[in-house]
Amino acid sequence: MSRYIARRLLQMIPLFLGLSVLVFLLLALAPGDPVDLLVFGNPHVRPADVVRLKHLYGLDQPLHIRYVKWLWATLHGDLGYSRTYKQPVFSLMASRIGNSLWLQIPALLLALSVAVPVGIYSALRQYSAADYAATLFTFLGVSIPAFWFGIMMIYLCAVWHPWTSLSFLAWLTLPAGGFSSPGVSGGAAVVDRLRYMVLPTVVLSLVFMAGYTRYTRSSMLEVVRQDYVRTARAKGLPEWIVIHKHAVRNTMIPLVTIIALSIPGLFAGAPLTETVFGWPGVGQLFVASVLAGDFAVAQGIIMLLAVLVIFFNLFADIAYAALDPRVRYD
Amino acid sequence: MAIDAKPALPFEVPGGEGYWRAAWRRMKHHRVAMAGGIVILIFIAAAVAGPPLSPYSFDQIDLRHRKALPTLSHLLGTDELGHDVFTRLLYAGRISLSVGFSAALAAALFGMVIGGVAGYYGRWVDNALMRVTDIMFSVPDLPILIILSRYLGGSVAGIIFVIGIFAWMGVARLVRGELLKLRRQDFAEAARAIGARDVRILARHLIPNALAPVIVSATLTVGGAILSEAALSFLGIGIQPPIPSWGNMLQNAQDFVWTTPWLAVWPGVMIFLTVLCFNFLGDGLRDALDPRLRI
Repeated sequence: MSRYIARRLLQMIPLFLGLSVLVFLLLALAPGDPVDLLVFGNPHVRPADVVRLKHLYGLDQPLHIRYVKWLWATLHGDLGYSRTYKQPVFSLMASRIGNSLWLQIPALLLALSVAVPVGIYSALRQYSAADYAATLFTFLGVSIPAFWFGIMMIYLCAVWHPWTSLSFLAWLTLPAGGFSSPGVSGGAAVVDRLRYMVLPTVVLSLVFMAGYTRYTRSSMLEVVRQDYVRTARAKGLPEWIVIHKHAVRNTMIPLVTIIALSIPGLFAGAPLTETVFGWPGVGQLFVASVLAGDFAVAQGIIMLLAVLVIFFNLFADIAYAALDPRVRYD
Repeated sequence: MAIDAKPALPFEVPGGEGYWRAAWRRMKHHRVAMAGGIVILIFIAAAVAGPPLSPYSFDQIDLRHRKALPTLSHLLGTDELGHDVFTRLLYAGRISLSVGFSAALAAALFGMVIGGVAGYYGRWVDNALMRVTDIMFSVPDLPILIILSRYLGGSVAGIIFVIGIFAWMGVARLVRGELLKLRRQDFAEAARAIGARDVRILARHLIPNALAPVIVSATLTVGGAILSEAALSFLGIGIQPPIPSWGNMLQNAQDFVWTTPWLAVWPGVMIFLTVLCFNFLGDGLRDALDPRLRI
């Protein structure tokens, strides 16, 4: 086991270097470096200053030197400085990650709490009406543009709210976007935050939900055909024990890996959903900074995401091997 | 030397029905997939034939009839500049569908070349190409798409390129996996024995046998590419107005959700339906083309 982990850790190094080259080139080769953009925004900058600034930022050096310097700084936690937000990228991201998690974790939990039972049920009743309904739902969920669904939900719950005259449905009338109402504190602030969370959480979780349902269903379908399930039935175990102890537990193994692989995305936020709802998370920060041409922020977010992806890939493989004794380490 | 033996197809039974004919027979029974395919054909026909038949052009501004409700002369109403929404929707269909098809086709071709070379030559070539594929796979695609289209987007060709270069990895892995199995089979050895060149063995004997999963993957990629184009245009870094795409029509409509919410309905419905139909079609093709069902 430890040899396996050590080898996988070593394999992460070239993967990380490859990714870092890609991310660096992506932004270094972009037309217009930060100084060009500065001059573009302010025509009064003198040519001598341009040369001085480019030298100051090291932009006059060859690409490979810049890459090594950038990588060195990145490895030391220095992700650069945001021009538009006037603060270091690292602290800017740190201030947003919490907001993204406020949205992502409830969305993930909501998705799993629906997808796992639905997926299992639909696999057990394959080709039943319920199974077709669940399958149709997964098709709808993966095909719907999340940002459009978000706009429609805003229209329904924040603009139209046709239930206005029904007082018991008043809680369904929700804010169109944002994070919290100004001047609310104490217990009311919790309720207030929850009201802002409902729409983006529902929209975000739909995307997760469709994928997880499909995954649970196909995994369960595979497991119930296995010999050990037939053996369990043959030795006369009650059906619910066969399902719970033998089928569902084995279905969970690949599901754990899929969940592990989606954890990096939790920290990176949801660029589209957060933008639609004006939710100040990492995804919204990413979109806003790219639109503003502030690529240092984007570079930092992608590097963080890439590192998390590599790490959780390894984690998923180890978890899989640890949970399933049939998987060997070589 | 002429080497024009008919390329072998998987599981061809002498005297039995051909592979593609059997696939089509299975496909016809998949009603949802057939419905998806028919809806797609209707959308393509409407996008091709619709704009010339419409009395309006996609960029015709009519300031006296802005944000009009649907009437007989404007079937879906007009937007904030008095554009006829129905005409724009049809024209946007051209853009969104061609971006989807072109990106998927380019990605599938590129993936076949990479996967074909990796699977055929094996060893270090395979290793190197598959590590690159792994890296591209582990890059989170939406953020990179956003950055790339920030400076390559704007034109239709730019968007196709940006979406295409992040969509080939699935096909590359599929083709490579198939070729690793196929290249040691007798018909490939036979072609090699009579002196066929590598390019010929690949293009004529191996790739055609690996085509079924590629077709399925490419079909699903069309839907994915349409979703990506919509997302990028929605963020304002994809197709630029006045050229309409379903995504930028939505971006525009979002600003008016308080006053003219119906503007946001139709582009979204079109994206949703189109992507849904491609997913249904891909699912049906998977069932129809999977030769394992045949034995």
